[in-house]
Amino acid sequence: MLLWLILIPVIAAALIGLLRMPGRATALAAAAIMLILGVGAVLCPTECSDCLSTFCGVRLQFTLVSSISKAMVLLAVLVTFAAVAGTRAPSPNAERSWTISTLLISAGAIGAFMSDNILAFYGFHELALIPTFIMIGCYGRGDRRTIAWTTTVYLGLASMVLLAGLLLLCAQMHAWTFTDMAASVYAGIRPTTPCLIGGLLLVGFGTLVSLFPFHTWAAPAYASAPTPIAMMHAGVLKKFGLYGLFTLGLVFGPYCSQIFGSWNNLLLLLLLGNILWVGYVTVSQTRLDDMLGNSSVMHMGYIFLAFAAFIAADGANELAMNGATMLMLAHGLTIAMLFLLTGQVESQTRTLELDSMGGLGRKLPLLGFLFGLAGMASIGLPLLANFAGEYTIFVSCFETWTPGASPSPECCDVLRGISCWLQELCLVGAFFGWIIGGITWVIESISTLFGGLGAVQVTLVFALWGLVISAIYMLRAFRAIFEGDIAHTSERATGLSVMDIIAAGFLALFIVLFGIAPQLIMNL
Amino acid sequence: MIQNLPWLFLVLPLLVAALDWVFFSKCPKTAATLSILSAAATFGLCIAYLAGLQTGLSDVYVWMPTNTDALDLHLGLVMDPLAMRMMLVVTGIGLLVHIFSIGYMKGDGSNLSRYFAGLSIFMFSMSTIVLADNLAMTFIGWEMVGFSSYLLIGHWFHKASAAEAAKKAFITNRVGDFGFLLGILLTLGVFGTLTFSEMGNVSGAVAPTLLTVMVICLFCGAIGKSAQFPLHVWLPDAMEGPTPVSALIHAATMVAAGVYMMVRLQVSMGTEIFTETACLVITTVGAITAVMAAIIATQQDDIKRVLAYSTLSQLGYMVMAVGLLAGEAAMFHLYTHAWFKALLFLGAGAIIVCCHHEQDIWKMGGLVRRMPLTVLCFLMGTFALIAVPGFSGFFSKEAILDAAIVDHPVFFWIGAGVAAITTFYMTRLCLVAFLGKARAHGAEHAHEAGATMVLPLLALAAMAIISGYGFVADYLVPAEGFTAPGFHFGCTFYVSLGALVLGLVAAIVVYGWGKRERDPLAGNFIATALRNRLYIDAFYDKVLIGGLQNCGARIIEFIDSALIRGLLVQGTAWLVGRVGILLSWLQCGSLRAYACITGLGLLLIIVIIAL
Amino acid sequence: MTIPLAHYLIFSGILFSIGLAGVLIRKNILVVFMCLEMMLSAANISLVAFSRAQGTDGIPVYDAQVLSLFIVAIAAAEVSIGLALIVAMFRATRSVDSTSLNTLKD
Repeated sequence: MLLWLILIPVIAAALIGLLRMPGRATALAAAAIMLILGVGAVLCPTECSDCLSTFCGVRLQFTLVSSISKAMVLLAVLVTFAAVAGTRAPSPNAERSWTISTLLISAGAIGAFMSDNILAFYGFHELALIPTFIMIGCYGRGDRRTIAWTTTVYLGLASMVLLAGLLLLCAQMHAWTFTDMAASVYAGIRPTTPCLIGGLLLVGFGTLVSLFPFHTWAAPAYASAPTPIAMMHAGVLKKFGLYGLFTLGLVFGPYCSQIFGSWNNLLLLLLLGNILWVGYVTVSQTRLDDMLGNSSVMHMGYIFLAFAAFIAADGANELAMNGATMLMLAHGLTIAMLFLLTGQVESQTRTLELDSMGGLGRKLPLLGFLFGLAGMASIGLPLLANFAGEYTIFVSCFETWTPGASPSPECCDVLRGISCWLQELCLVGAFFGWIIGGITWVIESISTLFGGLGAVQVTLVFALWGLVISAIYMLRAFRAIFEGDIAHTSERATGLSVMDIIAAGFLALFIVLFGIAPQLIMNL
Repeated sequence: MIQNLPWLFLVLPLLVAALDWVFFSKCPKTAATLSILSAAATFGLCIAYLAGLQTGLSDVYVWMPTNTDALDLHLGLVMDPLAMRMMLVVTGIGLLVHIFSIGYMKGDGSNLSRYFAGLSIFMFSMSTIVLADNLAMTFIGWEMVGFSSYLLIGHWFHKASAAEAAKKAFITNRVGDFGFLLGILLTLGVFGTLTFSEMGNVSGAVAPTLLTVMVICLFCGAIGKSAQFPLHVWLPDAMEGPTPVSALIHAATMVAAGVYMMVRLQVSMGTEIFTETACLVITTVGAITAVMAAIIATQQDDIKRVLAYSTLSQLGYMVMAVGLLAGEAAMFHLYTHAWFKALLFLGAGAIIVCCHHEQDIWKMGGLVRRMPLTVLCFLMGTFALIAVPGFSGFFSKEAILDAAIVDHPVFFWIGAGVAAITTFYMTRLCLVAFLGKARAHGAEHAHEAGATMVLPLLALAAMAIISGYGFVADYLVPAEGFTAPGFHFGCTFYVSLGALVLGLVAAIVVYGWGKRERDPLAGNFIATALRNRLYIDAFYDKVLIGGLQNCGARIIEFIDSALIRGLLVQGTAWLVGRVGILLSWLQCGSLRAYACITGLGLLLIIVIIAL
Repeated sequence: MTIPLAHYLIFSGILFSIGLAGVLIRKNILVVFMCLEMMLSAANISLVAFSRAQGTDGIPVYDAQVLSLFIVAIAAAEVSIGLALIVAMFRATRSVDSTSLNTLKD
């Protein structure tokens, strides 16, 4: 049954491509079947928790055991359906490639989320990157060739680093599936070069999830990609890296900090880069698609924060895991809905420049309502899905903390060392040395002021400011597009088609559902 | 079953809001009826509970399950007098505002279903704050009231000013929530729980600094929501919303949520958690807000803005009382203030509608002859606000001053001074708007408002008069075992009487008996500064938002695109390309050169092996 | 009299150098090809010479001679393929100039 989840989109893509069946209708049927199968697979895990399939002589194993993998498959089928239903290609010819690409990305993503075999897990993701490249190159906005190449080379390099890390890990653990690896860990086998592997994996997975400073590919790619591709990539495929990190974290359990622990302080710094730095980059964007692309990069910081908390607690932080799962699902739905609506806004107004829009809410109140809902979800309004994830992550950071437990974060010593070293080095070094010294001082004083916070908690203090930043850019965009006087671009608006409304409403329904009943996901 | 009835306080309005917005967006009449019915139902339920329906605690639902019970986000209700009597204020004023809205919004072209859905969301979220039995649930309500406030301030979103005001309100509140959330997390660390009833004991030894920081962080939430200095800027702008909304959300209930939350924390954590430093910070913030807002109010011309600044100033009083650890006095003032300020706002709303949406008091005048009933009600509210002995505001204000007089005489005198200024600007408002002759076309044709508007006014006017007396206050003031203070002729009484007389006389001397055509105090630089809100908003707009944030964001964006995307990423690509071009010289395509290189390579290998 | 080994080696070296120089210098690919053969012959000569010199009692070491026979056989095979390629190339480009064979560079 699980194999069919991957085969159906591939078969449908083949039917469209080879037998010239009508693109949209076939894809819609495939997406609907996938939706039913996917939801069924997630709801009845007993029937298909462990499906063995031999495929072309390679033993592939698909499992749907961990809650994170269930949530991701659920996300994939939901977003696929909305992406197929809600977007319309510019021409019948393009419609074929659009639907084929969407289906293939979906197949790749679902395959990656279900694979037990680590190489298949890697390979499926690579498969999904190919249509992304083609679609940005052929149907993208703006400077599409450059963006397509940049993205592909960037992600290709990241995948190479990732592959090196995965191969090293597999070779040293003598295990090539997640299940076997967990057994190896249980049997006491440990990687011999954990630090190197951790670094490779963090850089590899991190780049795929646009971890600062490897984030610059993401926003232009999403801004340029055609709507269904942006939805699939930002919503679903991007979660691959986080999924990989958390799955390995689960596999290694209490020993995960041996691999990632030495990188944790750096990771904390980088995720602050995601939240604050990219957050302010987002604030200064003037186009809706750029803004959404950057906002998606920014929100990844929170999930990395959950991962850092998970590692800092030696894998004993189930809450961080739950929160990350919830936020990954919620963010996927939200950003997919936002990109979907962006496409609709563009087709109504023919522009995405925030300055030249306005008053669309009076012409199309329903579009305004849906966009407002998705926007509010993305800035973490309670009763919408993202809040549950964000709140759980915040709490998880404080789960292991007791007042006065750690007098000063251990990272301060490292930082102070670097600072001293730089100051002795040369004049320019001294400048950066002072800056780092200043940062150290700030971290230490915050830590002491708040009664001995650890590194994760100090990071959280800064990360919370992201809540304000996201409110700023999202409300600004909403204000610019939907409120105020009716701009001439809004005069053109004709109205949404039924399928547009159904697709966006479909995602909105699940955002609200998971927001009101987050235990549906947390208890998966 | 019956013990779970209080969940109706939350479920009913939320359901109605969803119905209104999704299903009845095209039939505003049905939407309005549903909203009013839900408000009436919750009000009835509230009265039933206060009359003794209460049978046991309601069930607790786990909302976000975790592996440890302490971290579960659960939904539970507290139904102590503090919460249930607060609910009476919320649902009571809510119901009156719903009714008033029918008259006020009649003939308005906007989507009324959205308006009533917003009101219902507000009722839901405010009830969540009031009834929440843990801080996480409070936070949910906290965010949701912010959202409903955003929705309702921006109800006329086609007006740029309303859209901007809504945005400003939401973001300013978010800044406060930043601290609030931090405070919640610290609370979780310090107490090991977020449930109010389990906050009795501190886990382990906690440094007083940490307690101070925790309390101040939690207070940040109140600074945002209750619009205290320095986050007060959103409240006056929030007057862009429809007036009934201003009455309900931005005067009576939501802005008081901060005070309610602080009092709730004092009750559950115990006042010893509130360290001296923390209390001093809270009291000072309250005092600054009270003084600053009162002074600014003296030079405002928009009737709603005068009332908005007066709300700020009264909230400052309440926060001061919280800081003085006089939670009971704070709640008493919150309760009386809710009635009379709602009355003032609704009265102002009626006046605005009847003057054809004129809000400038200098374009009114002579209203006392044209709409005597409304003006009379408004005067009742004014008397309560300026603390005329016998009116409700008098008792509650005196309670706060009493709390300050012994230990903190400075704050006592600040409070007395603010009382004098309050009297001054309210008297100015009444003299200018109600007496003399009409100064503009709108005011000439003013007439008494319809029944849906006058009846709520009468009800509120009654409450403004009597709610301070023991026979009402003892049963309705949101505090455990409250007894109304009544009259006692001490120092406080004479000082506040003096402040009242001082303010009255000063206002009458300056503004005469309705003969002035324009403000005699306007024109000098102090008045200009006050009219420009002491330049605080301008400072925020120009320096913090325009300067620091936007410039900073642009610099960061530049570095991001130039340095990281440009130099590092594209630079690496360029470097690789250059090296490739350089190396392609080796690939010259000449067979002989290849052979030569092969030979040289062979030679090199031989040499290396030989050596 | 016996010719000393050094003479064979010097001859072989000269032959190899001529071949190498031809490969490096000449444009005509046929000549280059012949020069390659010349280098192989030079290697053969030195192999045979070594085989004689290393031998005892007039019996050479046959290993080296076997190797040279191998080289002759492989050279024959190589010539057949190489000449066929050159003919094919000439048919395609009407020239046997090696400098004109740089299509891949552009």
